[in-house]
Amino acid sequence: MFDKRLFRSGGKVSPREREWQSFRGAINEAMREEMRRDPAVFQMGEDIAGASPFGVTTGLAGEFGIERVRDTPCSEVAVVGAAVGAAIGGMRPIVEFQFGDFLSVAIDQLTHQGAMLRYLTGGQVKVPIVIRLPCGGGQGAGSQHSQSLYSWFAHVPGIKVALPATSMDAKGLMKSAIRDDNPVLFFEHKQLYRTRWPVPAEFRDPDHVIPFGRAVVRRIGGDVTVVATLTMMHHALAAAEALEAEGVSVEVIDPRTLVPLDTETIVESVRKTGRILAVDEAYLTCGIQGEVIALVAERAFKALKAAPRRLGNPGVPVPFAPPLEDAVLPDQERIMSAIREMLSA
Amino acid sequence: MDVEMSLGLMRTMLLIRKLEAAWAEAYFREEIGGIPPALSTGQEAVAAGACAALEPGDYVFTTHRGQAPQVARGLDPKRIMAELYCRRAGYNKGKSYHVTDVSRGVIGMGGIVAGQVPVAGGMALAQKLKGSDRVSLAFFGDGASNEGAVHEIANLAAMWTLPLILLCENNGYCITQPVAVAVKAVSIADRAAGYGLPGAMVDGNDPVAVRDAVAAAVARARAGRGATFIEAKTVRLGGHLAHDPQSYRSKEEIAAAWQQCPIKRFRERLLTEGLLTAEVYARIEAEVGGEVAAAVEFARQSPFPEPREAFEDLWA
Repeated sequence: MFDKRLFRSGGKVSPREREWQSFRGAINEAMREEMRRDPAVFQMGEDIAGASPFGVTTGLAGEFGIERVRDTPCSEVAVVGAAVGAAIGGMRPIVEFQFGDFLSVAIDQLTHQGAMLRYLTGGQVKVPIVIRLPCGGGQGAGSQHSQSLYSWFAHVPGIKVALPATSMDAKGLMKSAIRDDNPVLFFEHKQLYRTRWPVPAEFRDPDHVIPFGRAVVRRIGGDVTVVATLTMMHHALAAAEALEAEGVSVEVIDPRTLVPLDTETIVESVRKTGRILAVDEAYLTCGIQGEVIALVAERAFKALKAAPRRLGNPGVPVPFAPPLEDAVLPDQERIMSAIREMLSA
Repeated sequence: MDVEMSLGLMRTMLLIRKLEAAWAEAYFREEIGGIPPALSTGQEAVAAGACAALEPGDYVFTTHRGQAPQVARGLDPKRIMAELYCRRAGYNKGKSYHVTDVSRGVIGMGGIVAGQVPVAGGMALAQKLKGSDRVSLAFFGDGASNEGAVHEIANLAAMWTLPLILLCENNGYCITQPVAVAVKAVSIADRAAGYGLPGAMVDGNDPVAVRDAVAAAVARARAGRGATFIEAKTVRLGGHLAHDPQSYRSKEEIAAAWQQCPIKRFRERLLTEGLLTAEVYARIEAEVGGEVAAAVEFARQSPFPEPREAFEDLWA
């Protein structure tokens, strides 16, 4: 049985799990392989060469040197701008923010400069940058270190958004992100960093990438479609498993990228189940959840047997104290309740 | 002074002035609309001098007042004007007012004040990482000098010894706001010391002085010694945008500013020094006038982009 406390503690690794691939190690491996493959790839971030805050860049400065794994001052505007400029100059920068919330400081450089420059120049430049953004709550990290702000940036033309939920996806999507010629935001849920997942053989293949825009059906079911990303995808899987005992069959879809979004897979699923629940830690107002529901309503309205449902942060800062934080963020229990309500409606 | 270089600077400044005047005229007779022209009138010596110190492969990042560096780096006036007429044949295919020609190292930016400056720093970083000796130059105004973006990249460029030239074009006004009410310090260039960079203040209405200051910064950058902060003190002879009647400036102030017109000053100096004759000046003026007339004609004859092109060029 799934235990959300596992995510909170980050500990208790069983001997079997020790054989599996850690989420943060998967990102590290993807970056290492791409830096070996392409000398244009380099990194910038605070403390990434020395004491990497979540350990994702550990060892990279040792292999590639501090010119290619560059520690930066606390200077988000300059660093994002430098990434944009370096990218149009032929490099492929990866930027790490210690907490994704800090991207707020550099929104102009990302959205108006990086994301628009290709369009405004009539296609004369490419802006291949990856910005890595630790995100999400559940760790008592406080309101300005716990948000899930991808809806802000998915709203802007020209930015791709990746949301990996497993080690396999973390590696495969990171490799796609680095090879992409467009700005990519790579959101890494902090609760996932220390988790470990079994990986298939192709995980070790340095040329195996996971393309953007392809959702994965994590669990097949017939009564309701749940669309969820990052840790919420795991909460949804746990809810689906628990509801099976009640005779409820839940399909869980992990979009993996928000831009581009695999609308087809979601709509096809709803045509089968007739019900849609979108779950995310993002603020509900103008959030990813509403976008998913709107797309389904536009394309599969007649298939709907019940009103669509959304779960998310209803619109308060993610609180510091764990009981308050738990009150704000969705979880397995709330997903189960929402599904039961939809089925009894 | 070298005759060829002097005449080249003279010609560049005249081409900037006349091309922009034609753009403004097109706006006033309502041949073009949208956001009014941002003219460099009075500031031509900054771009002409700075770009004369650069070589192919170097990059400049422009402001919203960006036509002067475009001309000074040798972009085709026809395609500049076509862009300003929102035509398909424009450098940016009608997608921006901020003309860009990557092949000549001109990146047009400036819709957000100071937004181009960190990006210019990134281009300098790319040159350093690639082991190239090319440099990156960011134009920005006195208004932008107060933006955090400038301070952040100045510090980073100093930390990382980037081949960057931060060229602050102080024209005395941020829209209607005199620099004296926005900058407490007497000199913006004095901030350079705080970043750990060499700083220089130069007469921005003397193209040779600007060229010399930028050439020193370029030599320093090419030699791997890092960035330089230059403040070019200049004058804005027109309004913020072409339609601005400048009701916030006295007639006396504007008349005094015209005495600083870089074209007037440079012409008088070259005549005095015997490097220019009235005949040669008239010939250059006529040539430039013909070039601008041809640019306007080209722009007028060029078709607008097709509506479907609105959906192109977003993704690589």
